[in-house]
Amino acid sequence: MRSLFFCSALAAVLLTASLAMAHTPLCSCFDNGDGTVLCEGGFSDGSSASGVKMYVKSAAGATLLEGKMSDVSEFTFTKPQGDYVVQFDAGEGHLIEIKSKDIK
Amino acid sequence: MRKLLLALMLALVFPAAAKAHFQMLYTPEIALSEGGEMVVKLVFTHPFEAGHTMDMGPVQEFYVLQQRGSEGEPKKTDLKPFLKEITWKSLTNSGKAYEAVLPKTVVRSMGDYVFVVVPSPYLEKEEDAYIQQITKLVVNVGGVPGNWSAPVGLPAEIVPFDKPYANWEGGVFRGRVLSEGKPVENAELEIEYLNHMPDMKANAFAEKAAATAPHDSMVTMGALANAQGEFAIGLAKAGWWGVCALGAGPQKEFQGKELSQDAVIWVKAVEMK
Repeated sequence: MRSLFFCSALAAVLLTASLAMAHTPLCSCFDNGDGTVLCEGGFSDGSSASGVKMYVKSAAGATLLEGKMSDVSEFTFTKPQGDYVVQFDAGEGHLIEIKSKDIK
Repeated sequence: MRKLLLALMLALVFPAAAKAHFQMLYTPEIALSEGGEMVVKLVFTHPFEAGHTMDMGPVQEFYVLQQRGSEGEPKKTDLKPFLKEITWKSLTNSGKAYEAVLPKTVVRSMGDYVFVVVPSPYLEKEEDAYIQQITKLVVNVGGVPGNWSAPVGLPAEIVPFDKPYANWEGGVFRGRVLSEGKPVENAELEIEYLNHMPDMKANAFAEKAAATAPHDSMVTMGALANAQGEFAIGLAKAGWWGVCALGAGPQKEFQGKELSQDAVIWVKAVEMK
């Protein structure tokens, strides 16, 4: 039992360490040309971004939309009016912001 | 004097015959921050010297396998419909080649893109034998890896152990030679540096060479894989390195003549600055 605890603790430490150090979060969005935008996420080691929180905020910082990366690490939303910012929020140190002007 | 001349002529002629053929699958950038339209050139040539460019026959297969992340299956896109015949100029001649202008919908998502070309066997008249070089080029968009290290399942294939698109100058590139999925013991390798930059607009090689080979054995470098078909090469200079495993494929004959079914992969190294 003790060794099981130890193993889980070790696994947790290793997992956390690798999450914090080895992974770089990556996110890219493009305009589908039909009034919607598709964002894809992932990590530099190939691990999935499924479940990562996604926010679409106005230029002033108000949250317009929120959701999560799908099973295939994708998030589609309807383009809001005016300038906006997409946030890919995979936790501390893992926040990516993409401005609407950079979404083609 | 006449003997000396003859010896000189032989010396000039014979090494040239030994230069390696390389099927090129070329696009200037393979580590892309974002996707978009992409132009790919298919040229069958001698890359170190930008020498004799062979007339390519019809392309049997040309496709890309894309995968984002380590989950899921690679997505296959047939690229043959995008092929257009072009004439590629080497420093000594012109040869029939192909280009493909891929719309931005093909290379758009993040992930790895493993491009594969299976050309038709080329009859090398001097040797009275056919050469077919099954070639891979791996492109990445956005830094999310995918299927770069996964065997495609080709008859002859080099499977990389290092990302072919993420190498510093002075680094090492490792891989394994497979024949129908099985390692090729002591596979014979040829390695060439792309010594004359391709000009994408002119469909030609630049006249200026990046390096000078002090000896013929440095133009086409020879190496052997180990008993497991594994190899490592040094990337001495930034730019493109072609690795070819000679006769790795199972098919040894085509239309009654000898066939060398080779596997080629292209690796790019960048300057560390």
